[in-house]
Amino acid sequence: MPVNSGLAQLSENLLLFTIVVYALAMLAYACDFAFGRQRISEPAPAKVPELVGARAVAGTAEKAATGAAGGMPRSPAEGSDAGPPVARFAGSTSERPGFWVRTALVLTVIGLAAHIAGILTRGLSEHRVPWGNMYEFVTAITCMAVIVLVAISLRYKAYYIGLFVLLPVVVALGVAVTVIYTPAGSLVPALQSYWIAIHVTAMIIATGLYIVGAVTTTMYLAADRHERRVAAGLPSRTAGIMLHLPRPLVLDRLSYRTILFAFPVWTFGIMAGAIWADQAWGRYWGWDPKETWSFITWVVYAGFLHARATAGWRGRKAAYIQLVGFSCLMFNLIGINLWVTGLHSYAGLG
Amino acid sequence: MPPGSGHHEAVTSESIATGENAVTGVGTAENAGGTAAAGQAAGAQATAGQATAGQATGAQATGGQATGGQATAGQATGAPAPGRAGAKTGPGSSAGGRRALSGWLRWAWRQLTSMRTALVLLFLLAVASVPGSVIPQQGIDPAAVAVYYTSHPALAPIMARLSLFNVFAAPWFAAIYLLLFLSLAGCVLPRTFRLVGSARQLPPRAPRNLARLPLAASYRTALTPAEALESAARLLSGKRFRLRTSDGWVAAEKGYLREVGNLLFHIALLALLGSVAIGGIFGYKADRLLVSGQSFGDTVTALDQFRPGRLVTPQDLAPFSIRLDNFTAHYITSGSLRGEPSSFDAFIRYSGRPGAPMRAYVLRVNHPLEVDGVRVYLIGHGYAPVFRITDGAGRVVFDSPVPFIPVEQSGLTSEGVIKVPDADPDQLGFAGVFLPTAVDVNGRLQSAFPAALLPRVSLVSYAGNLGLNDGQPQSVYELDPAHLRRLPIAPRPLAPGQSMKLPDNAGTLAFTGYRQWASLAITYDPGQLPALISGILAIAGLLLSFAVRRRRVFVRAAAGPDGATVVHLGGLARSDAVGGFEAEFASLAGEITESHGGSRLTGTAGRPEDQQAGLDAAAAFDDQVSSARNDREPSLGNDEGE
Repeated sequence: MPVNSGLAQLSENLLLFTIVVYALAMLAYACDFAFGRQRISEPAPAKVPELVGARAVAGTAEKAATGAAGGMPRSPAEGSDAGPPVARFAGSTSERPGFWVRTALVLTVIGLAAHIAGILTRGLSEHRVPWGNMYEFVTAITCMAVIVLVAISLRYKAYYIGLFVLLPVVVALGVAVTVIYTPAGSLVPALQSYWIAIHVTAMIIATGLYIVGAVTTTMYLAADRHERRVAAGLPSRTAGIMLHLPRPLVLDRLSYRTILFAFPVWTFGIMAGAIWADQAWGRYWGWDPKETWSFITWVVYAGFLHARATAGWRGRKAAYIQLVGFSCLMFNLIGINLWVTGLHSYAGLG
Repeated sequence: MPPGSGHHEAVTSESIATGENAVTGVGTAENAGGTAAAGQAAGAQATAGQATAGQATGAQATGGQATGGQATAGQATGAPAPGRAGAKTGPGSSAGGRRALSGWLRWAWRQLTSMRTALVLLFLLAVASVPGSVIPQQGIDPAAVAVYYTSHPALAPIMARLSLFNVFAAPWFAAIYLLLFLSLAGCVLPRTFRLVGSARQLPPRAPRNLARLPLAASYRTALTPAEALESAARLLSGKRFRLRTSDGWVAAEKGYLREVGNLLFHIALLALLGSVAIGGIFGYKADRLLVSGQSFGDTVTALDQFRPGRLVTPQDLAPFSIRLDNFTAHYITSGSLRGEPSSFDAFIRYSGRPGAPMRAYVLRVNHPLEVDGVRVYLIGHGYAPVFRITDGAGRVVFDSPVPFIPVEQSGLTSEGVIKVPDADPDQLGFAGVFLPTAVDVNGRLQSAFPAALLPRVSLVSYAGNLGLNDGQPQSVYELDPAHLRRLPIAPRPLAPGQSMKLPDNAGTLAFTGYRQWASLAITYDPGQLPALISGILAIAGLLLSFAVRRRRVFVRAAAGPDGATVVHLGGLARSDAVGGFEAEFASLAGEITESHGGSRLTGTAGRPEDQQAGLDAAAAFDDQVSSARNDREPSLGNDEGE
C-alpha cells in the first residue's frame, strides 16, 4: 500500500508543533522555579536525613493525634522540620499547584496530545506500526517519557521534574526531526512481523521510563550534593533551584520506582525480541551487537537494583550505577545504530 | 561497603530486619581475610532467621577460621559446621592442612556467595560482553574477522589467542558467568530452604508503641479489649494474614510471595542457563544453499555447513527433504527507500520422511517451516547465473546454475567462480561478477538495483589445473590459482543468451540465463521450550517480587483511663517500593474500626493526594529498616532516640 503523503505531512507538522509546545511548557516550569512558591521547609540537616523522613511521618501522624486520649504525647516540634504539613490521616490540605505549574501542566498535556497524534498519523500514513526506524523510535521513546512525566506529575504531584524531563525530550525531538529524519515508508521483510508491535513497544515503554529514571536520579545526585555542601557549611551554587526540589531521599525513591517499572518491561522486551529472533533468524540469542548491548543494559540495571538494596551501595553509588546503565542504553540506541553493523541495522540512516 | 551483608538477603530487603529473630549484622569487618575479621564477616553472613548456621559461624568469630575439618563447600552454605572456638588456626596456618584448606574453602565460598562478589561479577559480565560487540566475531561475521586479520596482521593472532574473536565462547567469559551462577545458586538454594522454614514461623511480637510505626491509627470502642482483639484477628485472618496473638495484642503478617517471586526469578535464571546448555549439547545448526529447481535431503553430505551440538551425531538429523520450486523477491522501486526489499518468498515443497507426500509451503523471513521438531528458516538469497560450457573437443562439459554470493546489498552485485574439471585439454576456471541491473558508471560496471532488470555477467577465464585432485578441500566460491593460467581474453559483460569463445581453442562459454537461490538455516534446539518457560517464570518472579510487599499489621487493645477500650493499629511494609500499602492499611483500619463501632481518634491514611507524604513515609520506612539492620535486636520505632 502506498504511503499516504498527506497524513505523513500532517505527522511532521504535528511533531513540530509538539516541540514548540514542549518548549513553552519548559518555560512555564522554569517560571515556576523563578517566581513560584518554594518548598515549604528548608532542607533538613544532611547528617541525619533518614531520621527526617521518619519524623515527618511520625510527626504528622502525631500532630493529628496530639491531645487525643490514648495518643502518645510528643513534642510537635519534632515534625516541624520536614515535609509539607500534610495531615496524613484526617482530612488533609492537598497542596494546589501554583499558576505556573498549572500552565506548564496544561502545555505539557497539549504537547503530549499533539505528540501522540503525530505518531498515530505517521503510523496511519504508513499502514503499519510507526516504529520501524530510528526517527520513529526516538519520536516514540520521547512520547513515552512525557507520558511518564504526566503520570508522575498527576499521581505524585512531583511537578518539579517537568523542566528536567522536557529538556532532553525537546533536544531529542529536535535532533529527530532534523538530523535523523526518515521519510515515511514501508518495512523491510525482516521487520514484517507482529512481533514488532510487541518487542519494540516494550522497548519503547521501558526506554521512556529509563529516561525519567535517569533524569530523576541525576536530580537526586545534584540535590544530595547540595545538601551535603550545605551541611558542611560550603556554598552551593544550586541553592536557588534546590529550594524548589524535595529532599534527595524523595528523588532517589522516585527514580527507583521508575526503574522498578522499567526493568520488568525491559526484561520482557528482551525476551520478546528473543522469540522474534527465533522466528526470523533461527536462534533466540546470537550476540548480535544490539542484543549484546541490550543484555549489558539489563545486567547493569540488575546491578543497580541489587546495589539499591544492599547496605553500603545505596544512595550515590547506586545512582551512578543507574546512570552507567542509562549510558549503555543510549549507546545501544545511538552508537550501535550508527557505527556498528548487525542484524538490527534498521536505523534507516544509510 | 560491608563485606558481610548477606548476598541476596539484601536484594529485597528480605532479611528479617524488624523481627525478633533478626540478626543481620552489618559487617564492620574489613575484607582482609584475617582471622578475627573474617570471623566477624562470617557472623554477619549468618543471616536472619537462621539460628543454626548463624550460631555455628558466630562461634567462629573468636577462633577465626577453625572448622570441623571436613567442611566442604556444600556444607559451608548452610549446614552448621561445628565451630571450634579453641582452635587458633587461621586459614593460612600450616597446622592441620586439611583444616586450613577447608577454612579457606569456607572463606572462599562465603566470598563467592556474598552480594558484593555477585555485584562485581555482574559488572564483569557486562564489561566482558563489550568486546564481543565491537570486535568482529567468528560466529557472527567470519568475513569481518578475515578482514581484520589482513588489516592487523600482528595484532590479530594475539587477539585470537585471547578468544577476542569468539568472546561469547571464550573460557574467561564462561568463567565469569559460571562463577556468577554458582554464586547465585549458593545464595538462592539456602534461601529457598529458609523460606520454607520461615513459612512455619510466627509473625514477630507487636511493638509496644504502635503509634511510632510508619502507619498508625487508634480509636475507642465499647468492646472489651479481648473482644476487640478477637474480632480484629478474625478480620485479619479472613484477609489471609498470618496471625500471632497474645495477651493484649495481635500481630499479623502477609506477603511471603515476595520472597517466593524473588527466588523464582533467580532460579529461573539458572534454568535459563541450563536451557541454553541443553541447546548447545543436543541441538544443531546447519545451512544449505538451494538454487530454484534443486532439492536436498537433510543429511550431513547434503548440507553446506553442519554445526552439531556436543552429543549430536549425523544419525540424529531429521529425515526430511526440501525442494525449492521458485524464489521471488520484490523491491521498492521509488522514493527514498528505493532498492530496499519489500518481500521475499521461497516457494518450497517438503516431505517429512522419504516416501511421504510432498507438501507445499511458502517460506518467508519471520515465517519458518517446522518439520519434525526442526525449523527451517529463510536467511539469504541471491542469483545463480546458468552457464553452458563447451570444451575444446566440442563436448558440453558444464551446464548448470552457479550460485554467486552478494557482496553488497543495495544492488546485489554478486561474485562467484565456475570450475570445469571435465574440460579437455585443460581444465577451465572462471571468476567474475553478476550484476542484476548493470549500469556503466565512468567506465566501471555497477549494479544499480537488486532486481534483475538488466542482468550481466563479466568473467575472467583461466585454464590449467584446478587443483581439485590433490586432496586439499577447496571452497566452491574460490579458485586456486596455483596451476592456472589466465587466458588472454578481456572480460566483457555478457547478457543472457550471449557467449564468448575462449582463445587457444579452449572452448566456449555461454551465459544462458539465471535463477535465484535461497539459503536456508536448519536448526534444532531442544533447549528452546525450556528457555521460554524459564523466561516466563523469570518475569513472573520479577513481577511478584516487585509488586508484592511483605507487610505487618499490629493491633493492641487496652482499657483507657475513662474505662473505654482504646485500640491502636500499626502498619509496616517492608520494601514498599511500588507503594500502595497506605491505602491497604487505611481500608483495613477503616474496616476494623467500623466493625467495632469505634470512634476514630486518629484517622486512617491513604488519601491518594498525599503522595508526597506517602513518599516520605516509604522513605522513612526504608530507613527504619536499614537502621534496624544495624541493631542486633531491632525494636520497631523504639530506636528513634526517645
